[in-house]
Amino acid sequence: MKSLMLIIFLSLSAFAQSSEVENYIESLKAEVLKKEPNFKGFDPKRGEFIFSSKHVGKKGKDISCQSCHGVNLTKAGENFFTGKTIDALSPNANKERLSSLKSVKKWLRRNFKDVYNREGSAKEKGDVLAYISTK
Amino acid sequence: MKKLILISLVLCASLFADDYKFRGNKGVAPVDNQLYINECASCHFAYQPGLLPERSWVKLMKNLESHFDTDASLDLEDNQKILRYLVDNSAEKFTNYKRSRKINNSIGSNETPIAVSDTRYFIKKHRKIRKSLIEQKEVKSISNCIACHTTADKGIYGERYIKIPNYGRWDD
Repeated sequence: MKSLMLIIFLSLSAFAQSSEVENYIESLKAEVLKKEPNFKGFDPKRGEFIFSSKHVGKKGKDISCQSCHGVNLTKAGENFFTGKTIDALSPNANKERLSSLKSVKKWLRRNFKDVYNREGSAKEKGDVLAYISTK
Repeated sequence: MKKLILISLVLCASLFADDYKFRGNKGVAPVDNQLYINECASCHFAYQPGLLPERSWVKLMKNLESHFDTDASLDLEDNQKILRYLVDNSAEKFTNYKRSRKINNSIGSNETPIAVSDTRYFIKKHRKIRKSLIEQKEVKSISNCIACHTTADKGIYGERYIKIPNYGRWDD
């Protein structure tokens, strides 16, 4: 019964993800397929690695996405540099997340630069979004 | 008798209103722009536009790709809207607010600071605070106004509203 509830909950939250964001993910996939014809789809596991591994970022400090968003994405995080609270990143905990394409694109652009000191590739962005949406 | 009570009530209320207004003018005009709050205060304290002069905001908004070594880039439309708000409410427009006036007067005409913490007035006001109190995890940096100025979000930075974590009230 519990797992049935979970399935219903998960499918409902999948619907909550806006169609513009879904279309964006499809366009990222099309971009990856151009380079990798055998590409199967975005992988939350790869996304988790991108999200949790540390890099010398734009500020010259060794940080990962988790430095600000925390390990548990259903809980609020805290900006590593300013201390400002960041609302939970998981769309299952915060329905605002992955609902606006403008916002999704903005934060992927900014935060890849902050942590990786470069833009993310289409594959990396899709993997990270896959990871976030399963949390 | 009723009339007398009413008159005295109105009189009292107007006195308090005056007092409140006076106190408000000691600080900085509060932030009242939702786009600014959404875009800028998602990462840091929503600094009031009256904390810096126009030329500082213009310079700052030109380089959001490297905003204090963080990427805070915006699309052109949002950038222009926010810049307009900052410019329309910058320090030199609020000479009736004590902090705006003092900060602005402390900046040399040949200077364009993009951090409030780089202005002479700010430095003078914070010079006696121990480094350890600023760097502690509850505060993190001198830029985190609200960590100690408990009413900073209302534009009120008066001494009586200061409470430094693990230290307490600040008496200059």
